[in-house]
Amino acid sequence: MSKKTEKQTDLGLRQFIKDLGYLSGGAALLATTPWLQSFTPEKAKEIQSEKARIALIGTGSRGQYHIHNLLPMKHAEIVALCDIYAPNLKEAARLCPKAKKYTDYRKMLESPDIDGVVIATPLNWHAPMVIDALSAGKHVFCEKSMALTMDQCKAIYDASRKTDKVLYFCMQRLFDEKYIKGMQMIHSGLIGDVVGLRCHWFRNHDWRRPVPSAALERQINWRLYRQSSAGLMTELASHQLEVCNWAMHRIPRSVVGLGDIVHWKDGREVYDSVSLTYRYGNGVKITYESLISNKYNGMEDQVLGSKGTMNLATGMYFLEGEDASANSGIEQLLSQIGNKVFAAVPAAGSSWRPETQKAYKPHYIVEGKYHINDGLSMIGAVKDGSDEILSAFCQACITGEKGKDIVEEAYCATMLCLLGNQAMEEQRKIDFPDEYKIPYMKFE
Amino acid sequence: MSNSSFTYYEASSMFHGSLTHIMGTRFDLVLIGKGRELSVSVWDRIIRELERLGNMLNRFDPASEVSRINQKACSGAVRVSDEMWKILLDCRRYHDRTAGLFDITLRDFSALDLQPERQAISFLHPELSLDLGGYAKGYAMKRLLEILKTCGAEHAFIDFGNSAIYGLGHHPYGNSWSVSIGNPYRHGEPVGEFALMNTALSTSGNTPDYTGHIVNPLNGEKNTDQKMICVECDDPLDAEVLTTAMMAAGSGQKEKMMKRFQVIQWKEFDLQH
Repeated sequence: MSKKTEKQTDLGLRQFIKDLGYLSGGAALLATTPWLQSFTPEKAKEIQSEKARIALIGTGSRGQYHIHNLLPMKHAEIVALCDIYAPNLKEAARLCPKAKKYTDYRKMLESPDIDGVVIATPLNWHAPMVIDALSAGKHVFCEKSMALTMDQCKAIYDASRKTDKVLYFCMQRLFDEKYIKGMQMIHSGLIGDVVGLRCHWFRNHDWRRPVPSAALERQINWRLYRQSSAGLMTELASHQLEVCNWAMHRIPRSVVGLGDIVHWKDGREVYDSVSLTYRYGNGVKITYESLISNKYNGMEDQVLGSKGTMNLATGMYFLEGEDASANSGIEQLLSQIGNKVFAAVPAAGSSWRPETQKAYKPHYIVEGKYHINDGLSMIGAVKDGSDEILSAFCQACITGEKGKDIVEEAYCATMLCLLGNQAMEEQRKIDFPDEYKIPYMKFE
Repeated sequence: MSNSSFTYYEASSMFHGSLTHIMGTRFDLVLIGKGRELSVSVWDRIIRELERLGNMLNRFDPASEVSRINQKACSGAVRVSDEMWKILLDCRRYHDRTAGLFDITLRDFSALDLQPERQAISFLHPELSLDLGGYAKGYAMKRLLEILKTCGAEHAFIDFGNSAIYGLGHHPYGNSWSVSIGNPYRHGEPVGEFALMNTALSTSGNTPDYTGHIVNPLNGEKNTDQKMICVECDDPLDAEVLTTAMMAAGSGQKEKMMKRFQVIQWKEFDLQH
């Protein structure tokens, strides 16, 4: 992975964004994806002689994933690493031999030789680390979700309003070509009115990491315990709920849901099975489901429109009335006649019935590009936007330009995750609490 | 409601109209050489006629005439429209000609009391109901052919949900409309071919996800065989009625029944292997 060239890192997306900007006249792009406005090939040229000095807090699997993405970036240099778990720090240091090693992140933040900090730590550490790093005058890139509690999220949001530093959260779908293009198609009316959203993430894996000694169980398997994790919602659903809001241009008003530990009864505290319904002010609902003891359905972010269906995770869309099996014969006939050819067409057979309509004709959101995330990796998928959003952050460390709407999007998505957990815990409908509303949120 | 769309292909002088939800299935018309304006006006008439027939013959629509009969005929005689009366008499003739294998009651045609003096119908059995599913597409196809011929259409391909097809005239680059029959159990594998020229082809059979929908009215058994029957006739209604009856017929009955109709050819495909 570290052998990637600079070109492979982000120029593809930069060019793609530039092309999109030209196609839609620029203004439309800014209106729907404002965080992308400076991520162009021209901007890459402007900063090419400069380097953002990056420090990492958290050098576990996700931290190392970011290291692999950072190493080939010409405009980034890893100058410091911090972890309290020695084996991970050692492995990270092997990848970045010149970087200074720390075990106390506060000590590291005192260094004047750091421009930006990448935080990939357990969720309960996000809030103190983000706020401390901003206070120390560092730009910050933090893993999703935003934080473990609603109060912590609000504190981060408030801190971001006061600082002139850049704050990014790794909501990588915001930088994924098929999501960007797919959203443009949705907002242009291709699939008609958005009438429903269905998102799911299924895996068949216990979510555990091997533990060298029992004393390290809660530290290494932090995802399984409520003190450090909000479970499936913040680890998986946050990305998907963000996509729903992006498609809808608004925030759900309420949520109901059920959560249980169905299969992995191993002492964990977070649900391994969740089903929730979020309701927008106009009655459109998100049906969300996640299960980690069956992976048949994989992962999908599906936007249902009155004229079509957009499967954003797999990068495909389908239009109502285009049943592939039904009209393929007629289409072949039309094509034959257009090409002045006579041959048998496969038109005849047992009666076609609408209720068996299964095989819609697929269209690709981005022709010829299929970086499909099967959702199975616990660390991160290749080409899912993670390297591009990190590249954009490093660019922002040099220019000081804030990523428009990124904090707000992360805040909204994380709040919905935490409200979902509350709804499941208390087994009641939860309305979005007034005290956590921010001006960015549109409910109607 | 029926999701109509059409395209006119100027270079080929070809019109394609499509309805995605009509009479429980979809409908496609390819009309050759009539120009845009005339083609569009023919299409308008066809849509209107199909919607009218759907409203009369669809038993799943509670407001249709057949639903009105199904709701009321067990508690007394129901007067029916002239057209429905002709259809009911026609269905009785088909019932007789197929030795009872075509039966719009699916169980006991003798419990259907047709009263000519009042043009009324009543059910002599409380659970009786009419299902014109094996008749409606053939009947509609006949009506559409009348419209097409009245408008001077000479070459057209009419596809009613794949199971009822009519080739009017011929393909612009061939001497017929050639269609192949696909094996529903092996996607993409053709099992046979028919060349239609002013003839209708009807197909009936089970599919992997829709089995047992054809009932033998004589013994009430659902047919679950992995087979398909295709019948080619001049008359689209004969073809439609015969495929349904043939699915229920025993081996001896088939040949006998075919002799009572003007059948161009028929084929039975065993899809078990």
